[in-house]
Amino acid sequence: MNPMLRRLLAHRGALLGIAYIVLLAAAAIFAHLILPSDPLAQDLANTLDPPSAAHWFGTDELGRDLMTRAIYGARTSLITALGAVIIAGLIGVPIGLVAGFFGGWRDAVLMRLVDVLLALPGILFAMALIAVLGRSQFASLLAVGITGIPSFARITRAQVLSLRQRDFVTAVEALGGSSTYTMFTTVLPNAWSPILVQVVILSAVAILLEAALSFLGVGIPPPTPSWGDMLRTGKGFLYEAPYYAVLPGIVLTLTILSLDTLGRTLSRLIEDRQSAEDGP
Amino acid sequence: MIAYILRRLAQFIPVLLLASLGIWAMIYAVPGSPIGALVGENATPEQIAAITIRLGLDQPILVQYWRWLLAALHGDLGHSIQSREPVLDLIATRIPATLQLGLAATLVGLLVGIPVAVASALKPNSLLDRALSGWSALALGVPTFWLGILLILLFAVHLHWLPSASAYFPLISDPIPALTNLALPALTLGLYISGIFSRFLRAALLGELHADYVRTARSKGLRERDVIGRHVMRNAMLPFVTIVGLSLANFIGGTVITEAVFTYPGLGRLLIQAIGVRDYPLIQGCILFILAIYITINLLVDVLYAYIDPRIDYH
Repeated sequence: MNPMLRRLLAHRGALLGIAYIVLLAAAAIFAHLILPSDPLAQDLANTLDPPSAAHWFGTDELGRDLMTRAIYGARTSLITALGAVIIAGLIGVPIGLVAGFFGGWRDAVLMRLVDVLLALPGILFAMALIAVLGRSQFASLLAVGITGIPSFARITRAQVLSLRQRDFVTAVEALGGSSTYTMFTTVLPNAWSPILVQVVILSAVAILLEAALSFLGVGIPPPTPSWGDMLRTGKGFLYEAPYYAVLPGIVLTLTILSLDTLGRTLSRLIEDRQSAEDGP
Repeated sequence: MIAYILRRLAQFIPVLLLASLGIWAMIYAVPGSPIGALVGENATPEQIAAITIRLGLDQPILVQYWRWLLAALHGDLGHSIQSREPVLDLIATRIPATLQLGLAATLVGLLVGIPVAVASALKPNSLLDRALSGWSALALGVPTFWLGILLILLFAVHLHWLPSASAYFPLISDPIPALTNLALPALTLGLYISGIFSRFLRAALLGELHADYVRTARSKGLRERDVIGRHVMRNAMLPFVTIVGLSLANFIGGTVITEAVFTYPGLGRLLIQAIGVRDYPLIQGCILFILAIYITINLLVDVLYAYIDPRIDYH
């Protein structure tokens, strides 16, 4: 087994985090196979029922099963996070790669643009964009994705800057490798690990931001189940049905904490490896 | 010092200009006509004609931007579609509420975050350190809006100690209702902020604790309290203040969310309501103001940084 992977799995927190995320993703992917009920199926005779054997998380104000909605909500969250990270990566990584590899005016112009994006509070930018585009899953995904561009650009640039000085890169260039060739076949493959850590960290940020937008009522429009929207509606029934806003919140919080623990453990392992490489 | 502040201010101008361009262009990106976006879809033809002339929408696009910018700089942000009141007036009534919440939450963040950071940095990798680090991870990982809901459930629904929705009372004139209404929102946002503070201050303190000057201070017989308080803290404040500055964006997002949880009448809630009814002049005004507050605090952090560290050259 890969020594990095072994060290990661030896970390109890990270292991728990991986287990939770795998379980959640599996439940989200196979939701339609494992769950008996439809997330949109209303049962007006059984509204706001407390948790029971039939409805583990209870039912909402339209009698819909809250656990089913929480699991379909995971699908919404994970799709948004995945899409947002892909958008952020596809734009951010090339920006960082070009800025770090060529330096000079390209670096100055690209990083100044990234700084402007970084200067805007992410949630404010996302809300402004959604105000223009209207509420939809695509608008949320795009808004969350764009706010993630700066971190990818900066991480990649920092990584490329340090690789640029290494002998093997100089060797490839001296042997006549073109800039594009060197950039994509020599520099980028060696810059992956911090970028992958960023993928994990940004997934947590994306899920949190999407949930926050839905909680504020500007995210993915109902009736699509989303965790933020469940908490938003559940907040209206705190006296009648306190479990409504509590249980989906636990699922959301565990997701964030799992990804966060995983991301921080990974970045510590990579730091250790790098200091071991650079050390005496 | 003044020249330094002015120069930092000048560096913010490109950001503000670009942001203002984006905020202005919003109206043109909205589906439908900008006039529809500015006066609402139910406007009469006379109103539309009047607005077109008054706002100069018949002028070239760059002239339009310039006129909008000049008007905004003079405090004219247009009128709300919903209430017909000047946007600036609507915003002005909300600013004290948001500032009061922000300051109270920052205070909670400092009161909780600094002791946590110092306690865990003094005994790195001890049981206490690990417990406290876990606590910071929890403060940062638990979504603010869910924490707010849990606090409402405990203190309002269950114990009936505090109101579940928070109104705004100025702390100076009505201290008692101000505190009872502010307690839960400030705690919610403050605990999150304390997570940021404690995590980064701990790292900053650990970085300083092994420095040579600390050994010197100890070896000349200084009490540990003075070593930490006078030497280590002062130096650790520098990276810490930078981090606080960089985290401001999170604070701003935090106030918007916290205001929504507690239906607290601040700027963030005004923005949410404006987005809900597509009141574009009000949306533009709110975003512009939140951004201005953000940039002002950023500038204050920079100045504070220069003040703490005499090594920074203002010239």
